[in-house]
Amino acid sequence: MNATTRHPGWTMAAYAAAVFFIVLAIGPAIWLVVGAFQSTEADLNTLSGPWTTRNFEEAVSEGGLGIAAINSVIVTLARAGLNVLLAALAAYPLARLSFRGRDAVFILVLATTMIPEQVIVVPMFKIAAGLGLYDALAGAVIPFSVSAFGIFLCRQAFLAIPRDLEEAAWIDGAGSLRIWWSVMLPLAMPSLALLALFSVIGAWSDLLWPLIILQSEHKFTLPVAINRMLDLFATNPRVAYAASVLAIVPIVVFFLAVQRWLKPELFGGAVKG
Amino acid sequence: MSTLRMHQPLTPWLFLAPALLVLGVFFVGSAIQVVHYSFTRYSAFAPPEYVGLDNYAALLSDRIFWRAIGNSFIYLLVTPVLLVLSLAAALIIDSGIRGGKPLRILLFLPVVTPTIVAAIAWRLVLNEDSGLLNQGISLLFGWAGVDGIRWLTEHPYTLFSAMMVTAWKGFGFYMMIFLAGLMLVPSSTKEAAAIDGAGPWGVFRHVTLPSLRPTITLIAVISSISALKVFDELFVTVRGVPVDQQTGVPYIYDLAFEQGAFGAACAAGVVLFAIILVFSLINLRLSSGGKERA
Repeated sequence: MNATTRHPGWTMAAYAAAVFFIVLAIGPAIWLVVGAFQSTEADLNTLSGPWTTRNFEEAVSEGGLGIAAINSVIVTLARAGLNVLLAALAAYPLARLSFRGRDAVFILVLATTMIPEQVIVVPMFKIAAGLGLYDALAGAVIPFSVSAFGIFLCRQAFLAIPRDLEEAAWIDGAGSLRIWWSVMLPLAMPSLALLALFSVIGAWSDLLWPLIILQSEHKFTLPVAINRMLDLFATNPRVAYAASVLAIVPIVVFFLAVQRWLKPELFGGAVKG
Repeated sequence: MSTLRMHQPLTPWLFLAPALLVLGVFFVGSAIQVVHYSFTRYSAFAPPEYVGLDNYAALLSDRIFWRAIGNSFIYLLVTPVLLVLSLAAALIIDSGIRGGKPLRILLFLPVVTPTIVAAIAWRLVLNEDSGLLNQGISLLFGWAGVDGIRWLTEHPYTLFSAMMVTAWKGFGFYMMIFLAGLMLVPSSTKEAAAIDGAGPWGVFRHVTLPSLRPTITLIAVISSISALKVFDELFVTVRGVPVDQQTGVPYIYDLAFEQGAFGAACAAGVVLFAIILVFSLINLRLSSGGKERA
């Protein structure tokens, strides 16, 4: 099927390039992991001991890593769950029901994709604070509980579902909510899964917004806690390396568990909106 | 189809309500407020007070702001790097080598890595005294008196360092989009070109690349928008570097949350917003164009 496979020279080049990319992708993590287990007197360059788990203990006991991990799990699950739910709900009438104002709503949603959160953090912070969301985990969740991107992704998925299935359910007397739940959602599962995956990755990594909205240390999510550790343990950055290692493990495990959700073909629709 | 229209008039709005509430309050509301506050003197310590165009006038004469915006444009250089890396990775996976699927998963791992973790890991590689990169440089160019670059402290290398993190974290994502694009390249055309005597390079140059043009344009625009919005990479990778050596968003963050100058930060936000909007409009045009073709 492919031209490259018929040219040994090119095949060799492809494998060599693959090795380069593997080294690039996992290389930086090696220093991080080694650094996390080294004791303070070890030399990082030599990637050698003495080894210790003290950095991890310190990250938990003094850096508040444990509570930060719990907060991150709560915020991430809430954000991802709400993103899928709210986007799937909103996408249904946009894809399937006809009503006055549908085009206007669609354009409004389209317009919000062009509002970068980074340039509106000040008023967003004031609005969230006005709603009592300052220094609350809910404050890290609610403003980002739905995205226009998610609505598009779900709308695309719904548009691709044949109408006869809904009509059959309709004739059987199912209401809109019932059709949405038992016909549309199961058939849109690949897109919903992709949206969930992206939401989890985004929420787990988010630094700017939690940094602004969370104030108390016991409310910090992992990125905010790690950010604080960089200053707190300025003389022994290995504590922050240990925390970083612990921050990657859950997300990598999660990703490897659901990697089959990641289908390149879904990206075509995702970018075309 | 006509039967589907028979729903209660409120039904669509009930489905839409939660999403519209969140987007309306936090995004549309903030977008309106950012413009409003930009015309006020407003600090963490005093309520907004209308001052007309004062904030904009102050910005225009603020050299730090212009340097930050200039750096945002320099940061756009990450786009070609991302394009080359992600296209190369996609082509390797698509070339039919063994282990293509595991490779795809492996190269997506940087995408799932939290940016702050990626930045900390790269700080080790970029460490000026002992980092791998400078060790390599002094090994290769030590004879010429070059024994290292000040990746974490000297402008503009600091920008390049943050860009490395952006490229590392991003290429796997764009690789997936390229893989989606490569699926649309008709294999019959590739085979026909190969039969006509085109080598792998010829097939790539004359068949694959032309059909990937819409994907390339799209990725260029999306990654440019992301580059203009960058924060985490600079905030962590080149921690402590003065704001005028960083980009637009760190400038806004510093103004608002370090100095408490909310009004001025909003004016800067509006300017950056306008710059990003140009790219967003191009993106919108491209994606609606794409829909018409599809």
